[in-house]
Order: sequence, then C-alpha cells, then structure tokens
Amino acid sequence: MIEHEKKPEPRTPGKAIIAVLPLGRVREDILRVVADGLQGILRLPVDLRDPIAVPEDAFMESRNQYNAMALIKYLDRELSHNSLKILGITANDICNPILTYVFGEAYMGGRSAVMSSARLKAGLLGEPVSREQFLDRVVKVAIHEIGHTFNLRHCHTDRCVMRASNTLLELDEKLNYLCDYCEIFLFDSLREALKDPEVADGSV
Amino acid sequence: MSRKNRFMVVDDELIVRESLAAWLEQEGAVVDRAESGEQALDFMQENFYDILFVDIKMPGMGGFGLLERAKKSFPTTVVVIITAYGTVDHAVQAMKLGANDFLVKPFEPEGLGIMVAKLMEHKRLLEETQYLRDEVTRCWGGPDEIIGQSKPMLELFDTIKEVAPSESSILILGETGTGKELIARAIHAHSKRMGGPFVPINCGAIPESLMESEIFGHEKGSFTGAVRPKKGLIEVAENGTLFLDEVGEITPKMQVDLLRVLQDKLFYRVGGVEPIRADFRLISATHRDLPHEVAQGTFRQDFFYRINVITLRVPPLRDRREDVPLLVTRCLQRFARETNRDVDSINDEAMKILVEYDWPGNVRELENVVERAVVTSKRRIVTPEAFAYLTGQDICAGAGFSPRSLEQVEIEHIRRVLEEEEWNISRTAKVLEVDRTTLHKKIRKYGLNR
Ligand SMILES: [Zn+2]
Ligand SMILES: [Zn+2]
Repeated sequence: MIEHEKKPEPRTPGKAIIAVLPLGRVREDILRVVADGLQGILRLPVDLRDPIAVPEDAFMESRNQYNAMALIKYLDRELSHNSLKILGITANDICNPILTYVFGEAYMGGRSAVMSSARLKAGLLGEPVSREQFLDRVVKVAIHEIGHTFNLRHCHTDRCVMRASNTLLELDEKLNYLCDYCEIFLFDSLREALKDPEVADGSV
Repeated sequence: MSRKNRFMVVDDELIVRESLAAWLEQEGAVVDRAESGEQALDFMQENFYDILFVDIKMPGMGGFGLLERAKKSFPTTVVVIITAYGTVDHAVQAMKLGANDFLVKPFEPEGLGIMVAKLMEHKRLLEETQYLRDEVTRCWGGPDEIIGQSKPMLELFDTIKEVAPSESSILILGETGTGKELIARAIHAHSKRMGGPFVPINCGAIPESLMESEIFGHEKGSFTGAVRPKKGLIEVAENGTLFLDEVGEITPKMQVDLLRVLQDKLFYRVGGVEPIRADFRLISATHRDLPHEVAQGTFRQDFFYRINVITLRVPPLRDRREDVPLLVTRCLQRFARETNRDVDSINDEAMKILVEYDWPGNVRELENVVERAVVTSKRRIVTPEAFAYLTGQDICAGAGFSPRSLEQVEIEHIRRVLEEEEWNISRTAKVLEVDRTTLHKKIRKYGLNR
C-alpha cells in the first residue's frame, strides 16, 4: 500500500452537516472514502478538513494507545466548527479504559465521534487484507460511529451497518449502509437537530 | 427489545463509569451512573435494574457491601463485578457472595458483548420462570381464593402445603363440584414439579376404546387410523403431574396397566416395543366410595393402594356453610364484571337462603346459581326472589310434587335410576340407554349427588 506523502490541498470550511477531521497524518484515500461514504450513503453534506495534531494528553503510556474518550472530549471542547457532527480519524491505535481496543467510539447523541484505521488492515490470520476490503471496513466504522451521534443504537436487522461489531469478522459480515429502520431513525434525528435554530442557520 | 433494559454502572472513577455506560447505551439500554454504593442503593429505591456493574474498590460501603445489599433486597438483579488485573481473587470472593459474573478491565470488546448477551438471556429465563410461577398461582387462585376461611378448608390448605413437596401419589376425595381439580393444581403448584406440565385426564369422559392410546400413546400403524406415532399423556406429563380425574371410572384392564407403570416407571406405547421412561407425579380424584368398591371387588385393591398413598378429603359445601357468603360475594363480583352488569350486592335475606341451602352440587352449583341471579337480576341488589326456584325444588323433593318442566322430569328420572343402581355409572347408563360420558355430563350439569 502506498502512503500518500503529498500534503493534502488546503480545505476551506463550508456549511456542512458532518466535518471529517484527520487527527495526525491520515492516508488521503482513507479520508476520501470516508467523506464519499458519508456523503453518498447517508446523503449528508460532508466537509473534509485539514489535519490537526493528535492531542498528546490523550496518549496512555501504560497501554501505548490513545484514549478514544479523551479524543472525543478534545473534539467537543477545543474545536468550534461550522458543522453538526465531527468525525475524528486517526491512524493510531485507540482504546478506552474498559476495552483493550476499539475501532471507533461515540456517545449516543453526542457531537463528536472518533475512529481509528489501525486495526482494520489485518486479515483473520494477521495477514494484510486487500485495499478494497480495508477501505470497506473504514467506511463501515465511520458510518457506524456517526450513526451513534445521531442516537442510533445497535441494530438487530440482518446486516445493517448499525449492528454491533466487536471483531473484524463481524465488521466484514455487515454491509456498508443503514437498514430501512435505521435510515428512518437517522432522518428523524436529523430533522430534530435542524429544528434547533443555531444549527439550522449554520452558525454552529 | 420490547422493554428497554436498565443498567447501572457503579464506579467512583468517572472515566470507567463513562466509557462502560456509553458502551452499554449503544446496546439500547438506559444506563444510570452512580459513584458510590450509597448512591446506587438510592437509585435502586426508584428504579428496577436488570444489571448492576459494580466496582469493587470504592470508598464508603464499597463493592462488596453493595453486592450483599443488592442481592438481599433485589435478588433478580444481575450483579457484575468490575475489577482490575491483579485483583482477580477479589472477583472470586465476589462470586461466592452471589455476583453473577466479573469483568477484569480492560476487557476484549467481543467478550463484553457476549457477556451482556449471556446475562440478559439468564435474566430473561429468570423472569420467564417467575412469570410462569405467577401464572400458576393466579390460575388456581391461592389458598384464600380457592375456597374459604372455614376450619375444614384451612386444615386442607395446611395439608396441601405439607404434602405437595413429596413425590407420593395423592387421592383426592370429594363430592362432584367441590373443586378437586383446583386442589390438584394447587398441589402441583406447590411441588418440586411446578416447572413441569400439569396434565389432567377425565377418565369418565374419554371413551373406553380410546383410553389406552390417550394415556400411553401409540406407534404408527399399531391400529387402523394410527397413521403417525402419538405421544401418550404420560409422556406429556414428563417432569410434571398427571391428574386422573374420576379415577373410579377406569376399567380393570387399565388399572393393571397403570399399576405396572407406577411400579416399573416404564411403559410402552400401544404397538411399541421400546420401553419409555415415565417420570410423573400422580394425583387422582374421585367422588366414589373406592374403599367400598375395593371391598366389593369391583376396584383393584393393589391399584387403590398405589394411588392412595396420601388421601385428601375436600369437604362438601354444606359442611362449611360459613364459607358460603364469601364464595357468593366473590362469584357475584366476578360474574358482574364478566357480564358487565350493575349487580353488586345481595341482601341479607337472599344470602340467608343460600347459606341454608344444601348445595348438592357444591361450589359448581353455587357458581351456576349466582351466575343465573346476576344475569336475571333487574336491580343492583340481589333479593330472595332470585332464589325462589331453589326453595321450590326443596319443597318438591320433600312433598313428592310432580315436576313440570322437561328438564325437571329428566333430573328426577336420572336421580331415581341412579339410586336404584346404587350410583353405578355403567349400569345406570345402560338402563338409561346413554353412554357414560353423556350420563356424567348430565350428572354434573344438574349437580346430582348421592
Ligand atoms: Zn456501535
Ligand atoms: Zn439497522
């Protein structure tokens, strides 16, 4: 896999529902596929932003991982953006205090979510998977975590992207879109959020 | 998920509390957070929790203290202990105190998902058992619902509770309409087999020719019409209670067959060669005088001893008249509700008639009488006129008054033949030229009794 060494084009903030924000250096194809995925699948305007440094106080030395909750809090607190939701993406391995690792993390109805590409490259036996499969996993995690920020809980419908997936196998088994029910819930939640005048006029 | 699960995370460390709660919320649960055992107990006064996640090391009451209090006051709440690496021995100790599982942080995400799913399944089963237990209690009504406060009934309730847990066969004696099946259900509900089925068989109502295959089942092709194998009621009663109502009606051959099952704990389906294990508790009931029939040689003595390890006698209603007002009031309310009528009381004179009446058909007859009064009453209060026909009947029996309605003629005729044949059902049925089932139905319908 080729790492994109080239610095991405500077991006200007616009009026968007979701901001995609790289934390540290993140491959361009990952950012592109996430932005396209959210925009194409959820049909929500996405704003792809310039990267910022990973906040170092989120690093847990004892575990050699970043604390996903600390990253979420950082995004919530430190950044005022012209968007309804923020998805932070990092290439670093992330975890939380009770779990050895997470693919992504979000609070129900929260403003920010975070995801990591670190654990999505491996096959079942540890061998690297194809670029397509890797990017497919990235998109699923992104949609899933953003779904939680819109109050979607784990879904039990067949292969819906909102199914809980605690392993790569479970992640691979689901599809990269919302089932009909989750789609309805998502738009209900979005409509509710847009009723908030601050959100509706884009001043947030 | 029909009802939202409610969990509580109890941890003095904000970051653990938050991350676990956030994870559980994604599963669709309502999650409360408490930072101490004391606060958790406060919350538990307000809400019902499916699972508590409790950190062991907390100031104040601590995890162990909370575990003990929670298990004592809320036994169906599942408790999961949270511990850190290196303190697993604490978790073991917690399990001994009744914790359902423990969580050593940090945890593999997959393991947490599986654990929560497993605990919810465990809870579902607990609740299902509880539900079934309630259902059973509701169906037979409980001792105060079953019949009354008279001394003979209170004694009977005590005996039920005493004998229910044993595995011994029980024979319930009592006149028609005294509620023998309710008593049998009560025994089942208080026995170790309450989780299993209660299978009633009315031996007087099943035609003789079908009895064998009903009870033992049959294999395919064992007789004409046996197109597929069929489980017998003995098999259906596996792990539960088999209730043979009107046991006095079963044929001598059937008595031998059942005796064999009771002795060997094995039986064969009709046409079957494989022995099948029988695991049921037998309760029988009859309104007949079986010791008398044993003495006469019409009922097998060995079978009688087998089914009659414990004898319960249900007193006839006329021997516990003090229960009549209670029963009448209950019935009145029930029928008024069921038929949606504004009849809600009965005056003293009317009640006096009912208390003094002899109730040959026992509780069943009382129910019929009250139902009729409710349905025909034009006023809120039931008055003596509603029961004129009862006293009238007494007069006609006493004065040799000739019955007028077709029904009255039938009742009197059946009663006379029954008396002539000394209440032998088969002989009476033969004389009346009806089958035993029809005769039984009529005896029950008219509340006839020797
Ligand atoms: Zn999720
Ligand atoms: Zn779904």
